[in-house]
Amino acid sequence: MDFEVIDISGDVGLRAYGSSIKEAFVNAGIGMFSLITDISRIEPKDEIILDITGDSFEFLLVNYLNELIFQFDAYGFTACKIEVLELTENIIKAKVMGENFDPSRHAQDLLIKAATYHNLKIEKVDGSFIVEVIFDI
Amino acid sequence: MEIKGIKRIDENRLEVPSDYKPGMRTKGIIYLNSLLEQELEVQAIEQVANVATLPGIVGASLAMPDIHTGYGFPIGGVAGFDIKEGIISPGGVGYDINCGVRLLRSSLTRKDIEPKIKELVSALYNEIPSGVGSKGKLRLGTEESKKVLLKGAVWAVGEGYGTKSDLERIESGGCLEGADPDLISQKAYERGRAQQGTLGSGNHFLEIQYIDQVYDDDIANIMGIFKNQITIMIHTGSRGFGHQICTDFIEVMEKAARKYNIDLPDKELACAPFSSQEGKDYFSAMKAAANYAWANRQCITHWTREIFQKFLHIPPTTLGMSIVYDVAHNIAKVEEHIVNGKKIKLVIHRKGATRAFPPGHPELPDIYRQIGQPVLIPGDMGRASFVLVGTQKGMAESFGSTCHGAGRVLSRHQAIKKAKGRAIWREMEDKGIIVRAAGRETLAEEMSEAYKDVSAVVDVVHNAGISTRVARLKPLGVIKG
Repeated sequence: MDFEVIDISGDVGLRAYGSSIKEAFVNAGIGMFSLITDISRIEPKDEIILDITGDSFEFLLVNYLNELIFQFDAYGFTACKIEVLELTENIIKAKVMGENFDPSRHAQDLLIKAATYHNLKIEKVDGSFIVEVIFDI
Repeated sequence: MEIKGIKRIDENRLEVPSDYKPGMRTKGIIYLNSLLEQELEVQAIEQVANVATLPGIVGASLAMPDIHTGYGFPIGGVAGFDIKEGIISPGGVGYDINCGVRLLRSSLTRKDIEPKIKELVSALYNEIPSGVGSKGKLRLGTEESKKVLLKGAVWAVGEGYGTKSDLERIESGGCLEGADPDLISQKAYERGRAQQGTLGSGNHFLEIQYIDQVYDDDIANIMGIFKNQITIMIHTGSRGFGHQICTDFIEVMEKAARKYNIDLPDKELACAPFSSQEGKDYFSAMKAAANYAWANRQCITHWTREIFQKFLHIPPTTLGMSIVYDVAHNIAKVEEHIVNGKKIKLVIHRKGATRAFPPGHPELPDIYRQIGQPVLIPGDMGRASFVLVGTQKGMAESFGSTCHGAGRVLSRHQAIKKAKGRAIWREMEDKGIIVRAAGRETLAEEMSEAYKDVSAVVDVVHNAGISTRVARLKPLGVIKG
């Protein structure tokens, strides 16, 4: 499984998996968009490149997700595919494919305000990566 | 249920002793009766204790009876910090800066509206943008955005959204002085550009209600409310503009906390001394977001009035749709309070808590000076909301603060599961409530069973005497995002 919802009372969380940390970051991003809308209805018509920095993998994860939230909220850019081009403890470069959100065609699910540091986890378990992040909705 | 380490002070309050965890500078006090204590989350108690560790805290770390685990501060958290020695924290305000509630009264009664409620709800739903990815009717260029964040509801009235007489019925006149447009990131401007005059989603709403019960006739009279009267309640905040400002400043504050050697038991409590540059910058940016939210609620008020007038073919004077009051429930304010017999200026953080100033307070408009500040407490879409009023006891005990609503009991997933196979809109209609929502699962996620009963929360603050009941309002029509 790529990701699953963490069920909490007031907000919503995501647990994303990956055989590499790159894959876990990809699945965290896609997982987040799957909370916002039905991404099977999103087509990879447009592309943006993200270039994000952070002081650690944890900060990087939150900054990367918040950048995706910004792209959606400001421009309606909705991702259906993410390719991580480079990922270190301090930099993430990603190619994000998707299209403009259209409320008449696309499902309206959760309005995500921000990715938080609350109970944030990035763990390596038996060679795989698990990331957990809580969103304020 | 006995929770380890905390003790009951009286039937409405629990104490979190100052040795509950290391580093606490003061105790915590949670307004809660034994009924609601059964739902108290251990992590929320932890958060009350964490707030008590922050530098410059004055008095106790407080929480209202709608206490819930939040980010850094608990939801329902109230804390006051010395303006010279203390901190300011975005976590003590929330991501949705100046999420708040506005109540409009009218000269209409139930019988004027009920036969046309379906059409009225449709008209409002079509007119006022709501839902994920929705765009507003206004497009703010950079210069206009700056005016919004500088002047808030004053900007809106200047643009023709409402009248000057609206402003005195809004907390802080709908505008906090001291916002600096240059401190706002380009990203916040971009997010705010197309969202002015929109409802948002989640638990935000616009409700057509009626006054179902009046508990204090004299006070209700001064507020202009009466039994069976049609009222409108609007619950929304600073939208993406405010969310981005909070996101931007949590990062700034995280670095600042390290710079000023502030020990953070939780990253989300990131803070800086109020007197520092970072502290001043955040406060200024927070004001900008607060002003955006007040402008937002003002625009929505204007369109609501227009729809009622058009739909019912009546002029504004016949409609009589004026503001009862407008309160913020996610905000930080500089206020003067009496602590140990001395007047002191404090930065009061209210996160999921509402200001409730007492009779006589100079910040109240003339009309409310004798009775105290109206407090608006929204419930879920199927039950009731309340109007309360501030008290001297509240001013003395809780920095003039009270609760803000009811918390959830079911997660969204649990609520969706419980609603499977049911048509929530029809269940509501059978109860006499017409609902429209933009989101696929909104009605399931927001159904009554997903929420605590707000009257249980209101019971505690009323019995504790920190704010008292004036009226109960019931929904007739609900629009959600």
